[in-house]
Amino acid sequence: MEELSIVDSIAGILAVDKGNRVIDKAVFPKDPVKIAEKIARIEAGSLVEEAEQLIQRLRKHCKRFIFESEAVAANARKTLKVKVKVSKPSEAGEYVRSNLGDIAAAIGFVEKPGDVFSVMREVSTILTKLRVKAAASKRDQIVIQMINSIDELDKIMNLLAGRMREWYGLHFPEMSRLIDSHDTYAKLVTELGLRENFNLEALERLGIAGEKARRLVEVAGSSLGGMLNEGDMAALQSLSHLYMEASRLRCHFVDRMETLMEEVSPNLKAVTGATLGARLIALAGGLERLSRFPASTVQVLGAEKALFRSLKTGTRPPKHGIIFQHHLIHKAPRWQRGKISRVLAAKAAIAARIDAFTGSYIGEKLKADLEKRISEIGEKYKTPPKRPQRFKGSGRGKGGKS
Amino acid sequence: MSRHRVVSHERIEGVFWVTQPDGTKKLATINLALGRSVYGEKILQFKGREYRLWDPYRSKLAAAIHRGLDSVPLWRGEKVLYLGAASGTTASHISDIIGLEGRIYCVEFSQRVMRELMGHVAAYRPNIIPILADARKPEDYRMTVERVDLIYCDIAQPEQAKILADNSDIFLKDGGWIMLAIKASSIDATKAPSEIFRREIATLENRGFLGLRQISLEPYDKAHLMVVAQYRRRSREE
Repeated sequence: MEELSIVDSIAGILAVDKGNRVIDKAVFPKDPVKIAEKIARIEAGSLVEEAEQLIQRLRKHCKRFIFESEAVAANARKTLKVKVKVSKPSEAGEYVRSNLGDIAAAIGFVEKPGDVFSVMREVSTILTKLRVKAAASKRDQIVIQMINSIDELDKIMNLLAGRMREWYGLHFPEMSRLIDSHDTYAKLVTELGLRENFNLEALERLGIAGEKARRLVEVAGSSLGGMLNEGDMAALQSLSHLYMEASRLRCHFVDRMETLMEEVSPNLKAVTGATLGARLIALAGGLERLSRFPASTVQVLGAEKALFRSLKTGTRPPKHGIIFQHHLIHKAPRWQRGKISRVLAAKAAIAARIDAFTGSYIGEKLKADLEKRISEIGEKYKTPPKRPQRFKGSGRGKGGKS
Repeated sequence: MSRHRVVSHERIEGVFWVTQPDGTKKLATINLALGRSVYGEKILQFKGREYRLWDPYRSKLAAAIHRGLDSVPLWRGEKVLYLGAASGTTASHISDIIGLEGRIYCVEFSQRVMRELMGHVAAYRPNIIPILADARKPEDYRMTVERVDLIYCDIAQPEQAKILADNSDIFLKDGGWIMLAIKASSIDATKAPSEIFRREIATLENRGFLGLRQISLEPYDKAHLMVVAQYRRRSREE
């Protein structure tokens, strides 16, 4: 025999000749869990025992084996030292897929031809369940859930704080101006309640002293606000308490994010910081997807609206997406930001690739490179560029470096 | 006493027109999983049969039928490969149409929506076979799919025509059918939809598809096109 096709199927491994006759076979055990495991291995490119035995039996009679998968063929060539060829799809494979029921019955895998399909469904379901589970247990998905929780907590806290200030303002309107931090405001409302309880001693206990405390007590004494009865005050205090709880939860999540990112994506964390790195992963939909993006995509992640507007209508493209949150960008002078974004995105892209695929740590080097390049940019472009001369009617494609 | 009237679709076996009390007409299929609604669609009884309404705003196949596609290659007992099954909205109606003798292999890449497809749809429909895999690599699922009569493709990927043709070479029988939903904006947001449609269709023609029929899905979906064609397997020598 010149050539034989090795066809993997749900029923087992088949050796098929040019005339579409099944010459030999290695039937799988009729246990869906075991079959699923074997199929998963074949898909991953390995040569299962059945295939190995079959080829060993036939190698004396056959010059070359035809496979439908490059990886399996390469493995067969390496471990068994046989000649191989890849054909996607092979004629024999087509034959087997067209007559699967009859073949499975003929080789004794099932009794009736139709039965093979219920086995197939069972095996597919097991495989799919395993894969869904494996994907769900990846830690980068937890990063995504957690960063989204942090963002949603921010929204909730803003709403609660607005309501709390408005409500307490009925009683003590002057305090809103004096206390900027929502956290401090909520603490004062929760701990002290009515403004008659504001005195230097109590304030000091809550960490407010000096000029600010004196001013607060003074204003509390002469406030224009109305009175609140005990029940109303208690209701408001449960609201401010809820704000404090949310705030505590947020702090906890941010802390947790540090350790989680250290595990999931240490290089990216070194370049961008934990929260920004997490946001990039969330926008991409996972660490591996992020690692497959080019740096130019990473640069504008989160600015999709501006990007597509630019592609469609020719307005200027966005310089930065979510990476604007990085202090190196938003603290930089306006005309340097585009250049810095480009460098930061490039380093973040490299970091994500290492985290997704090799796992070594070169975060410090990346960070040093980044800072060096940014100081170069700072040197070279110290002054803002001159505004380009604008002519009448040049609406489209203004270009210019950015 | 039902206030609805149900009549068979003029051309497509297993698809029905429901006339609602207010006079509007909607599509429906006979529910294979009794009492179960898949995506919140209405279930109604008529002469001892249970029907599920088929929403053209949720399913591009229903939209195409509303837009006048009458020679849909769908029949009882058919074997279908569905690329991009998502959470199973359209797949569930195909499952109704092909019945228990038919089989539909649902390939979906996202584990998130696959979870829904498994839990809400495949669990109650023995003719649905869920496959979590990448449609760009058909050789990965060659062992769990048989030769099919129809490939339905709704994958919102650049190069979707090529992916469909690659799958056809492995799984579609000679003379089998394809249905391809093309979403212009997910291929290239910057080009005119008509240009993208032309390019994808040219790919299909080069890869051996004949009798192309095109149906625009407006107003149900913007800048979407449904293409129906028949496959001629090229001989190996070419």
